[in-house]
Amino acid sequence: MSFDVLFNQFMSGIARAALLFLVASGLSLTFGVLRVLNFAHGSLYMLGAFLSYSVWKFLLMPILGFYIAAIVAALIMGALGLLIEFVLLRRLYSRGWPEQLLATYAIVLMITDLVKWAWGGKFLSIQRPKPFTGAVFLFDFPFPSYNFFIIGLGLALVLFLWWLVYKTRLGDIIRAAASDREMVAALGIPIPWLFTWIFVLGSMIGGLSGAVTAPFGSVALGMDIEIIVECFAVVVIGGMGSLPGTLLGSLIVGEVYAFGIMFRPELALAFIFMVMAVVLIIRPWGIFGRAER
Amino acid sequence: MDQDQKEKSLFRRGGCLALLILLSSIAPFVITEFYLSILCEALVMSMLALSFNFLFGYMGQLSFGQAAFYGLGGYAMAMLMMKVHLNFWLSLVAGILLPAIIGLVVGYFCVRLRGIYFAILTLAFGELIFFIVFKWHNFTGGDDGIQGIFPPEFLRSPIAYYYFILIVFLLSAYVLWKIIHSPFGQTIVSMRENSERTEFLGINIARYQLMAFVIAAAFAGLAGAIWVPFYRSVAPSYLTWIKSGEPVMAAILGGPSLFFGPILGMFIMTFFHAWVLGFTVYWPVVMGTLILAVIFFLPGGILGFIQEKLNQRRERLNQLTEK
Repeated sequence: MSFDVLFNQFMSGIARAALLFLVASGLSLTFGVLRVLNFAHGSLYMLGAFLSYSVWKFLLMPILGFYIAAIVAALIMGALGLLIEFVLLRRLYSRGWPEQLLATYAIVLMITDLVKWAWGGKFLSIQRPKPFTGAVFLFDFPFPSYNFFIIGLGLALVLFLWWLVYKTRLGDIIRAAASDREMVAALGIPIPWLFTWIFVLGSMIGGLSGAVTAPFGSVALGMDIEIIVECFAVVVIGGMGSLPGTLLGSLIVGEVYAFGIMFRPELALAFIFMVMAVVLIIRPWGIFGRAER
Repeated sequence: MDQDQKEKSLFRRGGCLALLILLSSIAPFVITEFYLSILCEALVMSMLALSFNFLFGYMGQLSFGQAAFYGLGGYAMAMLMMKVHLNFWLSLVAGILLPAIIGLVVGYFCVRLRGIYFAILTLAFGELIFFIVFKWHNFTGGDDGIQGIFPPEFLRSPIAYYYFILIVFLLSAYVLWKIIHSPFGQTIVSMRENSERTEFLGINIARYQLMAFVIAAAFAGLAGAIWVPFYRSVAPSYLTWIKSGEPVMAAILGGPSLFFGPILGMFIMTFFHAWVLGFTVYWPVVMGTLILAVIFFLPGGILGFIQEKLNQRRERLNQLTEK
C-alpha cells in the first residue's frame, strides 16, 4: 500500500468527517442545551436535501442556484424547527425523556411520509456548483474539489460555533444553561426563549448540511436514518453536547469509515461500531462527555 | 387493600383472562381468514412488545433496537430451514438462541449506559445488525430476503398455525409474568426505582441488566421465529428502527406500567394498521399522529388511564364507607 493511496483515503476521510460534523453539531448543540435528543434531526437533514433540490431545479441558475437553494433550505428548516419547538417540544420539557424521544420519533415518521408523498421514492441529485465542479490533484491523485467546499464549510461551522459558544454573551448563557438550567432561569434569563432559538439554530444546521450533501448524488429516502446512526456514533464517541467532542468524534468516525471501506466496504459501519465499543468500555460517557444519570 | 378485596380483584382478573382466552380460542370460527391473519400478527407483535416492555416498563431501560432480535430470530429460522433443511422445531430453538447470543454481545455494551444513552446505543446496534443482514447479499439474500419457508404439514393451515401461535404466545406471556414476579424480576424492578440503593444491597446492576437484556432478546427472537413460517418469508425490513418503534409505541399506547398494557397497545395498532391500509399507504404519518395524541392526551396509556379512574372510584367508595 503506497503513501498516495493512504493519503487519498485520509483526505476523503476528512471530507466525510466535515460532513458528519455539519450534521452532528446541530444534534449535539440541541442536546447540550435542551437535553432533548432530536431523533428528527436526520429527517430535517433529509428534508433540507430534497428542498434544496427543488429550489435548485426551480431557479435554474448555473452558479448561484445551488448556494441560494442551500440557504433557502436552511431557512425553511429553521422555520420548521421553530414550529416543532413551539408546538410540541415546549409542552414536553416537564415530562420524561421517553416521551420527548417518542415525540421527535413521531416527527421522523411524518417527515418520511411527507418526502415520500412530495418527491416519491426517486434518487435525486444536484450538479456540483461552480467553482467546485472539477478535481484537484494531490500527489497525482484526483480529489473532487467539492470535498474542499465541504471541508471549508465544516471548518467555518466549527469556528462559528466556537465563537458563539465561547466568545459571546449568548454562549455564556448556553454553557450556563447546559450545566444548571434552574440557576440560569433564576438569574432572569428567559429559558424558553433560549431553547426555541437553539432548536431553530440546530434545525437550520441540519437543513443546510442536507442541502450541501445533495451534490454527492445521494438524495433519497432513507438518508435520514443512515446519517443519524453515524451521528449517534459521533456523539457517543465524542460525548453528547460537547463541541470539541463532536469534532473529535466526527474525525474518528470519518477516518475509520474511509479506511474501513478500503478493506471491507460492507463492514465499514461495523468498524465504526467497534471503535465506539472500545470508547464505551474506557469512557462510557464519551471522550469529552460528562457522567450523568 | 384488604384480603377480601384482593381476592375479589384477583378473581375478577382471572375471569377476564379466562374470557379472553376463550374468545381467542373460538376466534377462527367467527372471523374471516383475513382478520385471522391480522390476529396472528397482533399476537406475534404482542410478544415483541412484551419483550420490549420487560426492559422498559420493569427495568426502566428503553431499547430502540428490539426489532433487530425479532429479525434475527426470523432469519435464523428461515436460513436454517431453507439452507440446511433443518427440522422446524430445531430451527425454532435456534431462533431463540441466536438472538440471545447476539443480545449477550450487544447487551454487554448497552447495559453500561442509562436513559437516553441506552436508547441511542440499542438503536445504533440494531441498525448495525440490519445493515449487515442487508449488505451481506450472498449469505442472507440481502434486499430480496428469503421466501418459501413452510411450517410442518400439520401446521400448514392458517387455523392450525393460529392455534400454534396462540399457545406459544400464552406460554411466553406466562413465563415472562413468572420471571417478573420472581426474586430476579423484583430485583430488576428495584433497579428502575432506585439503582443506587439496589447497588448498595450488593447487587451487580450490570449483570442483572445483561441477563434481562438477553431474556428480552430471546423472547423477541422467538416472536420473529414463529412469525416467519406463517408469513412464508423474511426480509431485512423486519430489523429496521421503524419496526423497533412499534413496540415502543404499543407500550406507550397501552400503558407501560401494566403487564397487559403493551398487548392492548399492539392489538389496537395492528388492527388499526390493517384498517388504515385499506385506504392509504401513508401509515407512518397516521402512526406519528397517534403517538403525539397519546403523549399529549393519554399520559400513562389506555390501561394506565383506566386504572387511574378505577383507583379514584375506589378512593371515593372508601371515603363513603368510612363515613
